Amino acid sequence: MSVFWFVLGRPADFESMASSKKVITREEWEKKLNDVKIRKEDMNKLVMNFLVTEGYVDAAEKFRLESGTEPDIDLATITDRMAVKKAVQCGNVEDAIEKVNDLNPEILDTNPQLFFHLQQQRLIELIRNGKVAEALEFAQEELAPRGEENKSFLEELERTVALLAFDDVKNCPVGDLLDISQRLKTASEVNAAILTSQSHEKDPKLPSLLKMLVWAQNSLDEKAAYPRINDVSTATLEDPAI
Amino acid sequence: MAQENDAIGFYFLDLWRLHSKSAASAAAATTSSSASGLSPEDSEFEEEPTELDTVNSSGGFSLVGADKLSVQYPSVNLHGHDVGVVQANKPAPSKRLIYYFEIYVKNAGARGQIAIGFTSPGFKMRRQPGWEANSYGYHGDDGLLYRGHGKGESFGPTYSTGDTVGGGINYAAQEFFFTKNGMIVGNVQKDVKGPLFPTVAVHSQYEEVLVNFGQEQFAFDLKAFEAEERAKQQATIDNVAIPQNASYGIVRSYLQYYGYEETLELFDMSSKSTLPPISLAEENGCTGEGNSYAIDHRKTLRQLIRRGEIDDAFCKLQQWYPHLVQDDKSALCFLLHCQKFIELVRVGRLEDAVAFGRTEFEKFYRLTEVHDLVKDCAALLAYEQPLKSSVGYLLGDSQREIVADAVNAMVLSTNPNIKDSKICLHSCLERLLRQLTTCFLEKRSLNGDQGEAFDLRRILSTYKKA
Repeated sequence: MSVFWFVLGRPADFESMASSKKVITREEWEKKLNDVKIRKEDMNKLVMNFLVTEGYVDAAEKFRLESGTEPDIDLATITDRMAVKKAVQCGNVEDAIEKVNDLNPEILDTNPQLFFHLQQQRLIELIRNGKVAEALEFAQEELAPRGEENKSFLEELERTVALLAFDDVKNCPVGDLLDISQRLKTASEVNAAILTSQSHEKDPKLPSLLKMLVWAQNSLDEKAAYPRINDVSTATLEDPAI
Repeated sequence: MAQENDAIGFYFLDLWRLHSKSAASAAAATTSSSASGLSPEDSEFEEEPTELDTVNSSGGFSLVGADKLSVQYPSVNLHGHDVGVVQANKPAPSKRLIYYFEIYVKNAGARGQIAIGFTSPGFKMRRQPGWEANSYGYHGDDGLLYRGHGKGESFGPTYSTGDTVGGGINYAAQEFFFTKNGMIVGNVQKDVKGPLFPTVAVHSQYEEVLVNFGQEQFAFDLKAFEAEERAKQQATIDNVAIPQNASYGIVRSYLQYYGYEETLELFDMSSKSTLPPISLAEENGCTGEGNSYAIDHRKTLRQLIRRGEIDDAFCKLQQWYPHLVQDDKSALCFLLHCQKFIELVRVGRLEDAVAFGRTEFEKFYRLTEVHDLVKDCAALLAYEQPLKSSVGYLLGDSQREIVADAVNAMVLSTNPNIKDSKICLHSCLERLLRQLTTCFLEKRSLNGDQGEAFDLRRILSTYKKA
């Protein structure tokens, strides 16, 4: 049976592929592409949305002047948001918490998880700076009570405190907490919470459109062979593989 | 070379035309009452069911009201072939995510044998929807779902007098779904392609049903359901991996392409100080196509045009790229001259505008392909308040933008390293968006024209979180 399939199967498969998939040549595809009209102002809006959400405040302000595109958020709020983000990225968590509360005290009040992660980051920074006694006190007084409220917080706390148990923290099982990526993770969590509190989407639209392109091409692949864009950074059309 | 350049110029003339048309249709849209806001010329436009079909009816077994939105069963039923079936006047539109309609059971009559569903064009008008092939129906007396034969499958609750029941097609999931009093009852796979008519049926004495094709608010929250369905699709899309910093590179090349040089400078400056610093891969990506070519010149030209200083822009072009403006009848020169005329009108120098127009337009009027555009410009003189006229769009920022973009593309095309000047027409971002749109349209056309198109405007308008 299987041998039989092997001999007969391939040409049959080939045939069914050829008959079921529509082939669209480069010429035909380019004609379709040319029928698509993308408005300049819409592209400008996409770019502005990226600059604003990612916090490029100076560039956003200049882009407003150079392109005449109005931002979808008060640009002044970006500066404050970026200051918080930067503080976390640099390890000044106390400063960051103060700044968030200046911006809008509700953000931390309504996000216990975010508040916990900021406090956890503060603990990590204390351990990083070798302030063992201070770290222990902070863990017991500030973090432990929150751990009692929430089981996943407790696990996180235990994982963090474990940093104190190792001599060579860089190579210990929980060493990843000391990595710069942990700061970036916490920073982007705060960033997202501030954006949400300003009723703005926490992610820019452009990356999700790029994902949508990859997804749309993949699902069209099932039905047709056509020129694809395989590298989004160059956006060059590549001929269909037939 | 001259020909190639004119291809670029004519591309921007077409953009202008498009702009003129959309300005005209926007003016028309304020007076029309189309629910979708689409005009019949729009490729996304589809006729929707608005009332019940009284021509193709089941003889004496259904009595459609004068408003064509209600149906009654007039007689005492005799047997199974005496069903009063009524289809909508148009099939359910398919170029969208979801189609939906509702019925209100005003009177369940003697036996409550009411059905809501979808049927194909040749449906036998004496049978309940669901009993025949290519038809689907949710029946009130037993709450069963019928699809293709006389035996129903368990589905949902029964419905009767006072209930509102809805039927819908989810084109993304390829499913029918039904609702009762605003709540989803269930869904079932849609295994038929081709047009389907919203259909209602009555089958016992005194039964009376009112149909709502959207002329009144639905009991079911369709908008929320659509948002949910889109979120489902979005969740799949979110899982797709894309190269890190891809968006960053695309934004950067966009700024380069259009000569937004000052923004670019600040963008680069702050990305150097971000954590982690973003590596500037100059050699790969869109930058490799010479996007930073002549960026200072392009920036200056754009600024002049955006300020309306067309003479200065023209002088600079003559100084820097004399061959671009050598041919006084080229599309580029036409664009610049028109803009100069528009700027004169804007500042109220009408006599100068007339004098300028007489010499310049005379020259271009021999080119038949720009007649329509010359006419638009000249029409500005006819109005006391040109801004409020049908050609008021010419005084908008976007007209300056078209001219600035045309000049920008022309300057880019002088880059000796560029093999194909077509590449100068679009930024990397625009090429991606065109590919994305085309993929969606092609996918839909291979799927029997079912489903919604990619709509950048809709995506952009969801600024605020739900």
